[in-house]
Amino acid sequence: MAASFLSRRTLALSNATKACLASKMINPASGIGTQTASYHAKPLKLNLRLPYIPDKSSEKTPEWQKTAQYDRKLFGRYGSASGVDPASLWPSHAELDRIIAEENEWNPSLEVMLENIAAQQKAETEQRLAKEQLIAANMAKMPKMVADWRREKRESRKKLKEEKARRQKLLAEAKERYGSTVDPRSAKFQEMLAELEKEEKKKKKLLKRRQREEQAAVPVTPPVAAS
Amino acid sequence: MSFPKKPPSKALEILQGLPRISLVNLRPEPGSTKLGKRRGRGQHGGNRSGRGHKGERQRGTRPRLGFEGGNTPFYLIIPKYGYNEGHSRRPQYPPLSLRRLQYLIDLGRVDPSQPIDLTQLVNGRGVTVQPLKNDYGVQLVDEGADIFAAKINIEVQRASEKAIAAIERNGGVITTGFYDPISLDILIKPVPFFLRGQPIPKRMLPGEDLVSYYAHAENRGYLADPDQIQHARLALAQKYGYTLPDLSKDELFRMLSMRKDRRQIFFGLAPGWLVNMAEKKILKPTDEKVLQYFSS
Repeated sequence: MAASFLSRRTLALSNATKACLASKMINPASGIGTQTASYHAKPLKLNLRLPYIPDKSSEKTPEWQKTAQYDRKLFGRYGSASGVDPASLWPSHAELDRIIAEENEWNPSLEVMLENIAAQQKAETEQRLAKEQLIAANMAKMPKMVADWRREKRESRKKLKEEKARRQKLLAEAKERYGSTVDPRSAKFQEMLAELEKEEKKKKKLLKRRQREEQAAVPVTPPVAAS
Repeated sequence: MSFPKKPPSKALEILQGLPRISLVNLRPEPGSTKLGKRRGRGQHGGNRSGRGHKGERQRGTRPRLGFEGGNTPFYLIIPKYGYNEGHSRRPQYPPLSLRRLQYLIDLGRVDPSQPIDLTQLVNGRGVTVQPLKNDYGVQLVDEGADIFAAKINIEVQRASEKAIAAIERNGGVITTGFYDPISLDILIKPVPFFLRGQPIPKRMLPGEDLVSYYAHAENRGYLADPDQIQHARLALAQKYGYTLPDLSKDELFRMLSMRKDRRQIFFGLAPGWLVNMAEKKILKPTDEKVLQYFSS
């Protein structure tokens, strides 16, 4: 019956449970040893001659000796001499339903557990891959970002330098004009700046006029030269 | 099987004629015991009686262990970190070295001609397992792997790779199986369980965190695929450099191929059976529902 129950994965099942053996001669061909002492169990003192079986109907017997658990222990110790019905030792249908419900709640089947594990691992790997892809994409952008940043830094530094050079030049101008170092915040400096601007504007206007005249002269002369 | 007995030698005859050994006839080897120092007696044990001179030492009023005179002591100054957090919920596996296993086999405390189980190891007093201290079984450790030379069919709860290799190199078989705490308690003490009068319960499956260990062929788990286990055996043989002996040609093949079902606690006993020690009988249920539950 054991084989019919359980021959799902086992190849060979029935091995009698070992009772106490004094010593065994092992086949020397198996190469283990000539004689080994096997496990010699202590004798089980079951007291089968004078068993104590409590009287269920009497009031003097304590309550705990009338319970089902005590009956099971009685049967375990004394066997059929205890007068306990063996059929009561297995769970009744109601109890069995309760046990099955509890087991299904707390112990999922192997397939469910393996599925859960697979799902967890898949989620983990996906997360890891997504993170790695993000990192790779960002790293690919890095050279360009580095170059951009360097360029910007260079330009800002250049602008600062130019600004400084311009301020130095103005100060030198002012010094040349007024003969002594002028504070850039003073009114004199502002007037000087205004004058400089005017001169710049005039120069530009003259340049523009000359350019216009040259442009006017250039298209006129070739027809004159041609003719 | 009786062999013709030789007449015993003279020494053996004398020995057999002596009275039985008891406490009356025994005395320790001279020089093995040494009397302890008795305090408060005589020139050397008396006077201050080994307590020193005055102060807390002599007066026995020293402060508690760890006290450092008032500054915050070492055991308080070091900040806490979760090394031991949840330690009582971690499964423990007391180690069994291959050296000890070889010792037990050599002394005959464990029989290698039958499948070796945790029950056999405990019967031979080879290991002590305490299920109440979160022990979930025994783990095979590879100390003594080079001197191990026994062909066995062993089932443990965890095993290191080298230990697996050492056992398979000698032509043995190793399986790792899970026992939930109730099943473990029954496994290590079968007779007290049988005296309880309860039917043998079915073994529960491991939880999710342990299922992956027992479903892998590298660990020779009991839930793993047998074909994958064969592949793993070959791979391990290649890794450690030994030829894998062919078990099918072995004379103990039948014994070596005995393996427990995933719901079975004892060899030869199915869940649902009731063992009656008083009358040496096994009772089996006949109700369909009960049978279906115990065989699911």
